Amino acid sequence: MTVISSSDRLYRAIQGRRNRGLGGLYLVVAAFVVLYAILFPGILSMGGFAKFTQNWFPLALVAMAQALMMLTGGISLAIGPLVSLGAVIAATTMGGSLGVVGGVAAVALTGLAIGAVTGVIVAHLRLPAIIVTLAGSFIVTGVALILLPRPGGFIPDWLSDALAGHTPTAFLLLGLILLMWKAFLATPLGLGIYAAGDNPVGAFRSGIPVERTKVVAFAVSGLLACLAGLFVAAQTGSGDPIIGTPFTLNSIAAAVLGGVGFLGGKGTMRGAICGSLLLSVMINVMFFLGFPPVAQYVAQGLIIVSAVAVPELIHAWRAKR
Amino acid sequence: MTDAKPLLEARQVFRGFFGNPVLKGVDIALYPGRVHALLGENGAGKSTLINLLSGALQPDNGEIVIDGQPAGRYSPASARAAGIAVVQQELSLTANLSIAENIGLGAFPRRFGLIDYATLHRGVRDVCAMVGLTEPLDMPVADLSLGRRQTVEIAKALYRKPRVLILDEPTSSLSAHEAGVLADLMVTLRDQGTALLYISHRLNEVQALCSHVTVLKDGKVTGNQSLSGIDGEGLVRLMVGRETGDLFPPRSAAQPTATRIMVEGFSAGAVKEISFSGRAGEIVGIGGLVGQGQEDLLLGLYGAIPAKATKAEISDRQDLPRHVQAANAAGIVYVPADRKHEGLVLPHSIASNIILPSLGRLARHGLRDRSAESGLIADLARQLTIKGDVGRPVQALSGGNQQKVALAKWLPINPSILLLNDPTRGVDIETKREIYLMLRNFATEGRLVIIASSDTPELVHLCDRVVVLREGRVAAELEADAISEEAIVGAAMGVEQAGAAA
Amino acid sequence: MNIVRSIFRNPPLLTLTLVVAVWVIASLTLRGFGNYGHLRYLLELASVIGIAAAGQTLVVLMGGIDLSVGAIITVTAILLPLISPAWDPTGLVGIALALVIATCIGLFNGAGAAFLRVPPIIMTLAMATFLQGLLVIVAGGSAVTVSNPAVILLGQSRPFGIPAGILLWAVVSIFVLVLIHRMPIGARFLAIGANPLAARLSGVSLTRNTLLLYSLSGLFAGIAGVLVLGMNRQGYVGIGDPYLLTSIAAVVLGGTSILGGRGTYAGTIPGAILLVTTTALITVVNASPGWRSIMFGGLILSLLLISGRETRR
Repeated sequence: MTVISSSDRLYRAIQGRRNRGLGGLYLVVAAFVVLYAILFPGILSMGGFAKFTQNWFPLALVAMAQALMMLTGGISLAIGPLVSLGAVIAATTMGGSLGVVGGVAAVALTGLAIGAVTGVIVAHLRLPAIIVTLAGSFIVTGVALILLPRPGGFIPDWLSDALAGHTPTAFLLLGLILLMWKAFLATPLGLGIYAAGDNPVGAFRSGIPVERTKVVAFAVSGLLACLAGLFVAAQTGSGDPIIGTPFTLNSIAAAVLGGVGFLGGKGTMRGAICGSLLLSVMINVMFFLGFPPVAQYVAQGLIIVSAVAVPELIHAWRAKR
Repeated sequence: MTDAKPLLEARQVFRGFFGNPVLKGVDIALYPGRVHALLGENGAGKSTLINLLSGALQPDNGEIVIDGQPAGRYSPASARAAGIAVVQQELSLTANLSIAENIGLGAFPRRFGLIDYATLHRGVRDVCAMVGLTEPLDMPVADLSLGRRQTVEIAKALYRKPRVLILDEPTSSLSAHEAGVLADLMVTLRDQGTALLYISHRLNEVQALCSHVTVLKDGKVTGNQSLSGIDGEGLVRLMVGRETGDLFPPRSAAQPTATRIMVEGFSAGAVKEISFSGRAGEIVGIGGLVGQGQEDLLLGLYGAIPAKATKAEISDRQDLPRHVQAANAAGIVYVPADRKHEGLVLPHSIASNIILPSLGRLARHGLRDRSAESGLIADLARQLTIKGDVGRPVQALSGGNQQKVALAKWLPINPSILLLNDPTRGVDIETKREIYLMLRNFATEGRLVIIASSDTPELVHLCDRVVVLREGRVAAELEADAISEEAIVGAAMGVEQAGAAA
Repeated sequence: MNIVRSIFRNPPLLTLTLVVAVWVIASLTLRGFGNYGHLRYLLELASVIGIAAAGQTLVVLMGGIDLSVGAIITVTAILLPLISPAWDPTGLVGIALALVIATCIGLFNGAGAAFLRVPPIIMTLAMATFLQGLLVIVAGGSAVTVSNPAVILLGQSRPFGIPAGILLWAVVSIFVLVLIHRMPIGARFLAIGANPLAARLSGVSLTRNTLLLYSLSGLFAGIAGVLVLGMNRQGYVGIGDPYLLTSIAAVVLGGTSILGGRGTYAGTIPGAILLVTTTALITVVNASPGWRSIMFGGLILSLLLISGRETRR
């Protein structure tokens, strides 16, 4: 499907220009990955590469989920709880009558439904996304705790092996999801997210269904977060009602690192993915260098602030000259 | 031609905001193959009428009629379906999308549910050729100048192949060349049978292009007639409803005295290395086309944006104010053009808006002195004839009264320099007259008044001296008898005028 | 009918009415709820939330949000026992030092928001994360017991039968109410919250007020931290966590617009009490942590829906 549209010259030119805008980020990411490969050559083996992408994959998904929210001009504080809920639902359904397929469907539907309901509240009732998702984070956490009060549940071993074993399935899945995102962005609805986030009044006057666009964006965001939970459950082999907590902040950090703006309509998904890769490499490096896990928090706090502040300072400095 | 049925009509439409009636029973009918002009002063209700015609707003009363059929639930989407396209003053573009994507937005050709970029490319290429847009189509709109964005907006409207095209001041930020291209385009569209509605403040454009006119004044239609046999002055009479003469106070005979502002090599925002000065007791006008640095000049002098100068002397100080508080302390105040976003805290009361700059001065022992505050507020309300309860939120006031509040809040600090940015935009005629008189009195009291304005008659009849900016530089400096509409517009457009340049 | 309508139009009054209604109904139906001792205990619990929410109210009024309140409470509660000098028999020096640290953290938040232009929500979130990591590194995982006499006095003493925490809350309340309604700075906060650009062009300094605002928020969080420490006698990592979201919830419950520019601390006070009361009732009906969390989120959401309706106009 994408072949048809990407064969066009205009489409390629637009994409090329977006990539050029991210050139600096690509360089930084490449440098970090090369450095990482030199420090830990294990990544170059099949197993090492699989492990690396498995650590990165859920982060990439939540970065996409958060970037989607930020593109609409909002921000989500419920990403972490949604990851937890996804993990819990996967771990509680797959052992039962629903089986693996039913379990995956249940996770996906839950994510879509919660996202869509949040989207309806934010878009139609015009309430700020941050506070709605804050309230939502409690409700989602509560549901996860009721479904599975303490870590446990069941994930079939073959699924864990397939997703988080010694093969880079996660990497292939990420490629697939990116392709689907590209296809989505090539639809009028997908591109409408940019318009609805950047200039909602103008988008409305252009005939874009701004509310519906936002609801769809929220729903997709919820879906991605819950799927990240499914993967985390497969990784650990069980469900845990609070396993997703760090992802809220990580998702913001990754999106911000990837150049996604807070005010809506600014940023790209490929940027957010690069941001998540960068963050993932940093976390891995700190882990291997023997930093205590909490040092990650210190580093993340600094990373987020500098990712926002440095471009701002550079901008101010350029304006002054 | 007039035998044809109107494509789009508004019948007896009413619409108000926050209890302020803006349109009071307006009729308008757009016929195919005719360029219809909509004239009216700022605040007469033109933009509201356009929003009703394009479905962006719903009338409180009355109806919108398309092809003789009342449009029931009317929205921008259904307007587009009916072949109605609007070029708004406020752009509807998305900064981070490309020119092509912006033009197609909301009307993308699809193939298997995806945007058909090949078809889009062809369609966009055609409309861009029509409007003279030569930039690469994959360029993000964020990288374009304001005038080019306006052109993209026009291309966007054309892309929808409209039967009815509404243009709201499309030339305000266009260059002379771009405006010429647009004029040719309108003639072509008219001959193809498109119904056009054209809103402009430039009467010569209206007379050259349009054949029929509807004039709005204070939300009512004061004229609906053919343009043949009516001259510019006649149009102005219909819009203003009175001779322009008694709108403006007489100039004072007193000569301006001490220099209050003197800058050399002054740069701020779009303003590039200009010299500028003003003396106590004069009203200095700043003219030019939209966005030539007028606002940045005022903001720079006010310390609200970074500015630098090789030499500066402002009310006995040897440097520019570094921030707004420093400017206030030096007796400089600023009344912004966009009072809803920059001038006033809309949801707050008249009283809290008026008292905001004086809070610190009136406080005793760190606590607010309520009785002194209410005394001052009552005083100012009386002085500026702001009627009614000062506890009302300012968003409930009319444009004129809002402007009075925006001005009133500065009087307690007894400013020596007043910077005003389009202070009469969207203000009714009576308040306009009051504001002009007040400004003249300020000057007579020995203050310096600097007023940037998009309203040329205002510059001609109110100001003692007019500085015309073009592309951030001084294009002309006019004084006394040299101030005329022709001289100002000529300088603004870059036409050489013998003897006008200072 | 008119009275009902005017109560609905006045969010602080609405919240207060709700508190009274819940207290009366619960006292009549639940044994022991209406005891003087129990109600006093609820107020004592509410005082910590109320004090933490004092800073949060100011921040929200100015259009921001402070997500570092919980972390600052934890920092104060853990550092205070460690930095209280042994030569000071009163313990006041330790409290002063801890409050200075808390205020400085707030000042850092303000500096990030004002100079680095980091959105407040991100700045304070990053600060919270940063502090969380730093504390574990500095203090290790174990709890610290307080021996500072002033702190213990604050947490345990009951002059005239009223817990000192409630008295402290009363003092904070009076100060914040005066600040919002009787001091120039309160009007400036509100103006910035409703329209920062117009406020700036009216001569209100965004930088100075932002710095001051977040310092104040840090200070109030610090005071709440001292009180929590006094009541618990122990400081540990995570002790402040519950107060972050409850402080925001109390502000929202009190009818302050989350978008800034409209509201008052007079609503936050009954908001904090309502929050504690609901939590107590949920505990009485023996709800699981999951249900408690759901009810809490539902409460914020439903109040947002009620108050959001009129905000939109």
